[in-house]
Order: sequence, then C-alpha cells, then structure tokens
Amino acid sequence: MDEEDLARLYPWGGDIRVGNPLSPVAVVTMAEDFRFDPDQVAIYGNLKTENLGIEKIVANVVSNPNIRLLILCGREIKGHRSGNTLAALHANGVDDGGKVIGAKGAVPYIENVSREAIERFQQQVEIMDLLEVVDQDAVQKAVDDALGRGLECFGDPYMAEVVSSSASSTGTHLKEDVSLHRTLSIDLYGEIGSMAPQLPLNLHREITTDLYGAIGAS
Amino acid sequence: MYHFSKEQQVFDISGVPVGGQPGEYPTVLFGTVLYRRKGSALEVKPREEVTSQVERHLDLAELTGVSGIVDVFIGDMEHVKPHVDFILEALPDDKPFSVDMPEAEVRVETLKYLGELGVLDRVVYNSLNLGVTDEEIETLRDNTPKASIVLGYNPKDFSCDGRMNILETGAGILDQGLVDIAKDVGIESLLLDTGAVPFAHNACETLRAIPVLKNKWGYPTGCAIHNTVESWLWMKEYRKEHKESYNICDMGSNGLVVQMGGDYVFYGPLRNQELIFPFAAMVDTLMSEGAEDYFGVKPSKTHPRNRLD
Repeated sequence: MDEEDLARLYPWGGDIRVGNPLSPVAVVTMAEDFRFDPDQVAIYGNLKTENLGIEKIVANVVSNPNIRLLILCGREIKGHRSGNTLAALHANGVDDGGKVIGAKGAVPYIENVSREAIERFQQQVEIMDLLEVVDQDAVQKAVDDALGRGLECFGDPYMAEVVSSSASSTGTHLKEDVSLHRTLSIDLYGEIGSMAPQLPLNLHREITTDLYGAIGAS
Repeated sequence: MYHFSKEQQVFDISGVPVGGQPGEYPTVLFGTVLYRRKGSALEVKPREEVTSQVERHLDLAELTGVSGIVDVFIGDMEHVKPHVDFILEALPDDKPFSVDMPEAEVRVETLKYLGELGVLDRVVYNSLNLGVTDEEIETLRDNTPKASIVLGYNPKDFSCDGRMNILETGAGILDQGLVDIAKDVGIESLLLDTGAVPFAHNACETLRAIPVLKNKWGYPTGCAIHNTVESWLWMKEYRKEHKESYNICDMGSNGLVVQMGGDYVFYGPLRNQELIFPFAAMVDTLMSEGAEDYFGVKPSKTHPRNRLD
C-alpha cells in the first residue's frame, strides 16, 4: 500500500499498523505489543490517551467501511482508562459538553471529531470488549471467529474532518502593536506587561516582532 | 530575555522555591517515578534500585543548584498506599514530593491517605484539571495539599486562549475556572500548567501560553513538554535506532520552557535525571546572566549560577 492509499484509507494516521483494507476486523491492543497477520486484520495498534487517541481511532475506522468489528484487548491504560472510554463512547456517545457519557477516563472529552462521525462509528462497528485479556491466542481466536462471520461492507467511506476549535488566539485577534498574544506587551528590552506597547519591539532594541511573531530589523 | 511587570509569586514548597522572574530562581525539575503502563515499577524492579534513583535526584539537585521534586505516579486504587509509603520512606522527612494521579477516584483516596499521615504540607497535587469531581473538591477542602498543579488542558480549544479559559472561567466545561476552584479549597501555592499536546494540535501554544499565564496571574508556570516529543510519530520509529537523538529532543524541549519564562518542567521518567540536571543548569545560567544584565535580576543564593563555576 503506497502513502496515497494509506492517507485515503486512514487520513488521521497515528501509531497504527495497516493490513488488509478489505478485512472487517480492527484491533486496539491498548499497551500490548501484539502482532497480527496483515492479511487478516485491517488495522491495529496501541491506544494511550482517552481523548486525542480515541478521536484518531474513530476517524480511521469510519474512513474504511469494511471495518465492522473493533476488538479492544490488552491491559487497560492506568489512570487514563482509555479502553473503558472508547467502549463508553461507542455505547453512549458524548454529552453536550463533549464528555464521553459513562466513561471512567481521566479527561474523557471528544472535541475534534463531529457528532455525526461518532454516530457513524457507533453504527458501523460492533465492539468486542476483551480488555484485560493479555493472551494473544485468545485475541487471535476472536479475530478468526470474526472473519468467519461474513461481515459486509457498511457502505461509503466517511471522511471525518477535524472540527475546528474557537482558536481564539490566532492572528485574527491580535492587534497591530502586540507580540505573542493580545494580552501581552513586550517592550524593546523584553519587559512583559499588559498594556499595549508604544513600540512593537521585542527581545532587543534592534529588532521588531510583528503581530505574528516574525522578527525583523527595527 | 524577558521580565514581567506583573509581580511574580514565589512559593516555598517545603524548602524548594518555585516561581519568580526569569533567571531569579532555579528551574524546578519534576521527575516521575513508579510509572509503568502495565503495573507498578515496584513489582518489576528491586525497591533499593528505585530508592537509589530518588536519592540520586536529591544529590543532583544539591550538586547543580537546579531544584528537583520527585513525582510519584499512582495509577490505580491498589497502589495508593504502597506508592505513598514508598516515597515517604525514600525521602528525608523535610523534602517535598508530587503525586500524579490521572483518575479522580484515585486522587480522592490519595488525598485522604496523605491527610491521615499528616504530610499534606509537603505535597504537590498533580493535578487539578477539568476532570475534577464534586467529591474531589470536597475532599480537597478537608485535605488541602500545600501546592497543586493546575492544568490548562482544554480539549475544546488548543489555543493559548483556550488554555487560559479553562483556568479562568471553566471554558463552558466547568462552572468555575480551575484557578478559583484551587483558591476556594484553600490551596496556597498554584503552579499553572499549560498542558502539552501532540504535534498537529497547536503544540507551540503550550510554550506561548507560558508568558501569557504568568503575566495574567503571576503564578509559577510550566508544563510537561516532553509529552509532545514522546508522541511524535516519526520519532517513535527513529528512536529505536537513534536513542541519543531522541534524548536530545526530549531534554532540549525542556529548555524551551525555561526560555519562554517557565518556572518548572515535568521532564518524564526520573531515570533521565543524569541528562536533565546539567542541561537545566546550563539553561538557568544563561537565563540568569541575561536577566541580570538586562533587568538587574540577581540569581538566588542556591542558583546554578552561584553554584557552578
């Protein structure tokens, strides 16, 4: 599979191993170093965080409609409870604040994939919860069983876009005479204060820093 | 080189100063011990080996003048007592330590145990974050640690303002900003954390937020920028054959925090202490020379600039 195909199939990337794109099975191995036959499994890999990591899994699953079963296996990530959070997301979705309903994870918020993508994820795949199973033979048996079920393609790929945040400190909010941030002034000797500076200088008297932090001669 | 017009708070955490103007006090290095993705380090390493790492941390702080606080990871309920007991045995009675507990129920249990033991005046609570629960807030009122990391991670908005909002207002996720929650429960020493994120998630805002938060509140500010390096996908493969390259990125990232005016860093596993202490001493010395030259800021008595020739 070349990079173009990979980007098309799994546009959000991540620390993943890619196998047969026609396989209906994907595996989340939590922290385990399991390996699978690439002909049998579409995609597999570790999961660390209960927010950004899960967002990548959701996006990378819905972009390949052949994936119909997501196996969670291996020891739970201590503290983060990422596996629990992923299962809870599939079962319950998120509340109005983006919090995964019923999750025990530390910071279980999904903010960068849309509600629509989450719903598609819930509809497209079935979750098989083998969390705390560390016997790879047992996981392999689950994969073998799934391949015998004749799971069919869900339909068209769903390409999840990154939901843009408010990004309220981007350049559009900066005024002409500040650097680094709209609440800061930095005078020509590097003194940081809250008032807009008289001169848009920063770091040294012989350089200027514009509203985007670009440095030039004064 | 920077200097803040806003008065910068300096907190004494059981003998370790943190905060102030850039170049004034040594950077505080938090190294984490007993972290394992699976189980506890105490289950796979001889206790003496881990204890000796803790002792070496104190030795390096004494040698270099850079401050060090050991951060103890507590991943689940079953390790609350063993991990707290371990660090209390490993450290002299007057030394501070930090407790890192991602789960709210573990934080509650740990607070109660620390309260029972009467050692909360030595504790940096890691952390007060948007996952805070009502039970945790009530427990904090009754078992108040001397200091707390207050985490500016905001999953709704990775910008600098997003980080500020979670601390100031709760960003629509919490009813109250985390800074006010910390003050309401009686925490004296607030250490703001700008909340490191992976590349492609506006990671640089982690650094940019440092002077912004210090200017707004005057509290010590830092982060665990090593997490950004650790999550760098390309490096995950490259480091397998080029460990020294990874180490340079890993340790070097901490220098960026200090250069942006940061007061402390969580540098990752405690075992990296041999790499980070001399590096931090170099960065602190550079910052101090500039701060004195530009702004007349004198380094503290124990600062690396006054310790190392």
